[in-house]
Amino acid sequence: MKSPAPAILTAIGFLGAAAAYWLAGPERFWANYLVWMLMLISAGLGALFIAALEHLVAARWSVPLRRAAERAAGLLVPAAPIVLIGLFSLPVLYPWARPGAILPPAVAAKAVWLNVPFFSARAVACVLLWLLSWRVLVGGSMLQDSSKDPALTIRARRYAPFFMAAFALSVTLVAFDWISSLEPEWYSDVFGVYLFAGVFLAGLCVVSLAVIHMMEAGRLPGVKFDHLYNLGGFLFAWIVFWSYIAFAQYLLMWYANLPEEVFWYRQRVNGAWRAVALALALLHFVIPFFALIPKDVKGDLSRLRRAALLVLLAHFLDLYWLVFPVLGARPLFSWPELSFALLFIGLSSLWVRRSMGQGADMPIGDPFLEEGLAFRL
Amino acid sequence: MTERVFSIVGLFDSPQALLAAVPRLKLEAWHLEAYTPYPVRGLDAALEQRRSPLAGMVLVMGILGTFTAWLFQWWMNSVDYPIVVGGKDPSSWQAYVPIMFEVAVLFATFTAGLGMLFLLNKLPAFWHPFLLSRSAAKVTCDKFALAVEANDQALDVVAAESALREAGAVSVEIVYEPAPAKRASPNLLLGLAAVLAIGCSLAGYAVYWGIKLFPVLPPMSHMLVQPRADAFDSSGFFKDGRAMRSPVPGTIARGQLPYPVKTHEQAERLRNPLPRTHAVMLAGRSAYNNVCSVCHGPLADGTPTLTEAYGAKPANLQSGKFLKYSDGRIYDTIVRGMNAMPSYASPLTEHQRWAVVHYLRAVQRAQHAKDSDLP
Repeated sequence: MKSPAPAILTAIGFLGAAAAYWLAGPERFWANYLVWMLMLISAGLGALFIAALEHLVAARWSVPLRRAAERAAGLLVPAAPIVLIGLFSLPVLYPWARPGAILPPAVAAKAVWLNVPFFSARAVACVLLWLLSWRVLVGGSMLQDSSKDPALTIRARRYAPFFMAAFALSVTLVAFDWISSLEPEWYSDVFGVYLFAGVFLAGLCVVSLAVIHMMEAGRLPGVKFDHLYNLGGFLFAWIVFWSYIAFAQYLLMWYANLPEEVFWYRQRVNGAWRAVALALALLHFVIPFFALIPKDVKGDLSRLRRAALLVLLAHFLDLYWLVFPVLGARPLFSWPELSFALLFIGLSSLWVRRSMGQGADMPIGDPFLEEGLAFRL
Repeated sequence: MTERVFSIVGLFDSPQALLAAVPRLKLEAWHLEAYTPYPVRGLDAALEQRRSPLAGMVLVMGILGTFTAWLFQWWMNSVDYPIVVGGKDPSSWQAYVPIMFEVAVLFATFTAGLGMLFLLNKLPAFWHPFLLSRSAAKVTCDKFALAVEANDQALDVVAAESALREAGAVSVEIVYEPAPAKRASPNLLLGLAAVLAIGCSLAGYAVYWGIKLFPVLPPMSHMLVQPRADAFDSSGFFKDGRAMRSPVPGTIARGQLPYPVKTHEQAERLRNPLPRTHAVMLAGRSAYNNVCSVCHGPLADGTPTLTEAYGAKPANLQSGKFLKYSDGRIYDTIVRGMNAMPSYASPLTEHQRWAVVHYLRAVQRAQHAKDSDLP
C-alpha cells in the first residue's frame, strides 16, 4: 500500500498555487512557477547528464547506479508540458515581451533574439531534444533489461557525444532565455556554465537520494561504500566548481563596475537580499564543503543523504535568488511559495514513485554490470 | 656485541596467504608490518594501521594558507600602504579571494608533499633495516612478506618464528638492525648541506667578482652581437672604411622632385596644372586660411591677424603689383620665398600650392569686382 501523502501534498499545493494567482498576483505566481520549472529541469536533465556521462566515458563503476539516474531523468517528461505552459509567463515576467512596453535602446537592439515566437521555438526545440535523448538513452536501457542486447550499449555510447552537445546548448539557452532575459539589459557569458554547475549538482543530489533510498530498501545488492563514495566525491567537486564559477562571475562584474552589469548584483547582494546571498554562500559552498571533506561522509548512507538534501535545497535557493529579485527589493516568501513547493515536490514524488517501478532496479542487461558491481576504490 | 633484532620476516606465496596469516599473528599483540610487491586490498584494514594524519594536516594548512593570504593582503593593501584601485575600498575582501585561494592550494600541496616525505616517510633516513635483508629482493618480485617488528622492545624471536611458520610462511628470516655507525646521521646530512650552501655562496661571489674585475668576455651577449652593419659603423669591406653607403648620384627621394626654377623669367613660364574646380578651390581656401592668411590676411590685403609683434609688413596682395603677377610667379614665391617671407615649400604640397594660386586669384578678383562680373 503506497502512502497517499504525495497526492495529498499535490492537491493542497495545487489549491494554494491556484489561489496565489488571484490573491498574490500573476507576477508572483509565474515567478514561483519559473523557479520550480527550472528545478524540475535541473533534476531531470542533471540525472540524464549523469547517465549520458557514463556512456560518454565508458565508465564501469556507475553501471549499477545508472537505473536510478535513468528513472530520475523521467522527470523531463512532466517537465515538457510544464515548459510549454511556462511560455504564458512571458508577457507577465519578461520586460521585452510585455505588450506595449517601451524598451531602452540596449534591449530593443536584442529584439532579434528576444521575441516571443523565436523564444518559444527555442524552448520547444530544447524540450524536443531532451525528450529525444531521454527516449534514446533511457528507453534503450530499459529495452536492454529483457533483450540483453549489447548493441544498445553501443548505440548509447554513439549517441552520448551528440547528447553532450545538445545538453550544453540547451542548458545555455535555458540560462540565457529563461533566467538572464528577466533583466534583458544584463549579460554574462559564463551564466550558462553557472546554471550547468547547478544542474549537474541537482542531478547528482537526486541520483544520490534515489540510490540511498534503494540501498536502504535492499534493492541494490552489491552496491557499497565505494560506489557511494564516488557520488559523494562528485558532489564535493561540483560544489567547488559551482562556487568557482559563481565567484568568478561576481568578481569580474564587481571589478569592472559597469552599470549594465553591476546593477544585477546590486539588486541581489544589497538590502534585504544580502541575507539570501549570504545564505546561498553558506548553504551552497561553506557547509557542504566542510561537511563532505571527511572520507567516511562521502560513502555513508545517512550523512550523504543529508548533504544531498542540503545541496538540493541550496540549488532551490540559488534559483530563487536568481529569479525573485525581479519582483522587488524584498524577498517574498510565504504561503504562495510554500504551496508551489508542495505542488512540485508532491508531483515529482508521484512521478518518481511511478517510475521507480519501471524496469529492473539495476540495468541487468548491461554487459558491464558485473564489472560495475566489482568496482573497488 | 650482538646486533639488535629489528624484525622477524615471514614470506608468503600469495596475498591470500598473507591476509589469512594476519589475524593469527594479531592474537599475540605483536606489532606487524607487511611488505608486498603491489598494494593488497584489505591489508590496511587487517593490520589495523592508524589512518594517515596527512589529510588533517593538509586541511589545517589549507585553512592557515587562506587566512595568511587574507592577513597579508589586508595588512599591505588597507593598513600599511592603502592604494585605491578602480575606485574600490582598499580593504575590499573580494579582491583578496583569488590570492587566498591560491595560497590555500600552495600551503595544502606543500604540506601534502613535504609532510609525506619528511614527517611520514622519515626522510632524510634513506634506508630501512628491511632493505638489508634477503627477503627484500623477493618482495620486489613475487613474494609477500609479513614482519613481526621488535619496535625497540625485547622480542621473543623463537615464538615469533614458529608463529609465522604455523601461519603458513614458506620461509622465515631474522632481520637485524645494523650498527648505528652505518647510518647516515642527520648531523652528517646537515654538514653536507652546510658545505653545499657555503660552496654555492663562495662560487657565486667568485663568479660575480670575476666578471666584474676581469670583463674579458661579455658573459651574456645574446642579441647584442649580430653580424650586421649598423649606421656609422666602420667596415673593412668598402674602400672608404664606412658601413654606410652614399646614394647613387642623381637619386631622388620619393615625393621630393627637384624644383628647377632659378629666375623670375623661368617662373613666368610655369603654368597652373590644376583645373578651376570646386574641389580645388576648397583645397586652396583651406591651405590659404591655414598657412597664408596669418600674415597676408583673409582678404589677402596685408592686414594680418598675428603680426603686430612680428614687425615686418606683409605684402598687400591686392595691390597692383601683385595683381599683375603671373600664376607662375606667385607659385615661385611660395616655393622660394621673397624678402622677409621664407619658403613655404614644406608646409604645402605641390597640389596645395597651385590650389592656393587659384584661390588667391579668386580673392583678388572678388576684391576688384566689376559690374560685368555680375551674372
